[in-house]
Amino acid sequence: MSGAPVSPPGNPQLAGLEDLEGTYLFDLERSARGLRVNRFMHDLVRPEWRALFKENPEAAFDQAKLTVEERRMLRERDWRALIQYGASFFTMEKLGRVSGVSNPEMVAAMRGESLDTFLKTRRVPGAR
Amino acid sequence: MAKIIGGIGTSHVPTIGLAYDRKKNEDPDWAPLFAGYAPVARWLEEKAPDVLVFFFNDHATTFFFDHYPTFAIGVWDEYPIADEGMGARKVPPLRGHAPLSRHIATCLVNDEFDMSIFQDLSLDHGLNSPLTMLYPKATPEGHWPASLVPIEVNVLQHPVPTPLRCFKLGQAVRRAVASWPEDLKVVVVGTGGLSHQMNGERAGFNNEAWDREFLELIAADPLALTRMRLADFARLGGSEGAEVIMWLAMRGALTEKVRTVHQSYYLPMTTAMAVAVYEEIEQ
Repeated sequence: MSGAPVSPPGNPQLAGLEDLEGTYLFDLERSARGLRVNRFMHDLVRPEWRALFKENPEAAFDQAKLTVEERRMLRERDWRALIQYGASFFTMEKLGRVSGVSNPEMVAAMRGESLDTFLKTRRVPGAR
Repeated sequence: MAKIIGGIGTSHVPTIGLAYDRKKNEDPDWAPLFAGYAPVARWLEEKAPDVLVFFFNDHATTFFFDHYPTFAIGVWDEYPIADEGMGARKVPPLRGHAPLSRHIATCLVNDEFDMSIFQDLSLDHGLNSPLTMLYPKATPEGHWPASLVPIEVNVLQHPVPTPLRCFKLGQAVRRAVASWPEDLKVVVVGTGGLSHQMNGERAGFNNEAWDREFLELIAADPLALTRMRLADFARLGGSEGAEVIMWLAMRGALTEKVRTVHQSYYLPMTTAMAVAVYEEIEQ
């Protein structure tokens, strides 16, 4: 066994996507990095966890043993940082619903745009 | 003998369910969507299938990444609507066809599809958002006309099953349905898409030209789609748009040739919403 870092061969189904800009495929590496924060957001489907998060977010963060940066991203609803970090959009969606933030708002944030700017690029801006 | 009488491909965007719940039928922003589904609801009313086999995906609601199933089949007789963060939709609990589901699960495993099996779990918008459009009268009447066999496909966490594997799953489901002794009319439903991306700076990506081509190919030449890789689907239709591989599972369960009896397409916001109905052409 050598001590050199192993470079994984990767998934041939996804090969060639490395150069696809602005895309963070949710694979097992991201899933591992994001597991704690994804679990935190997933658990918002439970009313008692939602209630704790709304009433005392810091206590919920403590209970989930989140890092300082994970807490910041959740506290600030930093959608762009979350997706880059390893969150799944579909757990983020739960945080969006709990926070009264719509999917178009989350998409705009990930693009680094205001909601108004994003809506100008849509065919039916009222359909949300 | 149970028999497949047709297939439906449909998007499952959560706002489809929301538009239904908020009765947006007459709202000009949503009317085209309702117009697209009306013929599908009429077709279902006329054909009156007993069972819908639904290829759908969970959205990290029922299942979580501590143990995410690649393919899972529900074998229960009732599935509550899942709470996705703001309480469950006010829709009657979904009816499952437990005996047929158990039979299909057994056939699939013996046919070398090693399914996960689930019971007594709630299901999210991946299934319930299109279902209320397919059966718009079910909620006010408090009863679903057909029961379900829900088959979950992991399209969230790579490695995701290949397009070809999804098509073969549909073929195996066809064999399983055909070996059920009771006379049942079965419709297969594939959900998801069309083009959209919900992550990164590329979020909001759409590709109507590709969507149109996909709709042609899924009916006329699905094998061409099975020769594509997930990377091709993600590049052409967005990373989340690659979930259209669940349409391939539906298509695999139908005859080699099909007739498209309805198709509609609406791209208002971030996701292209399509619905299509296919009837079988026996050789």
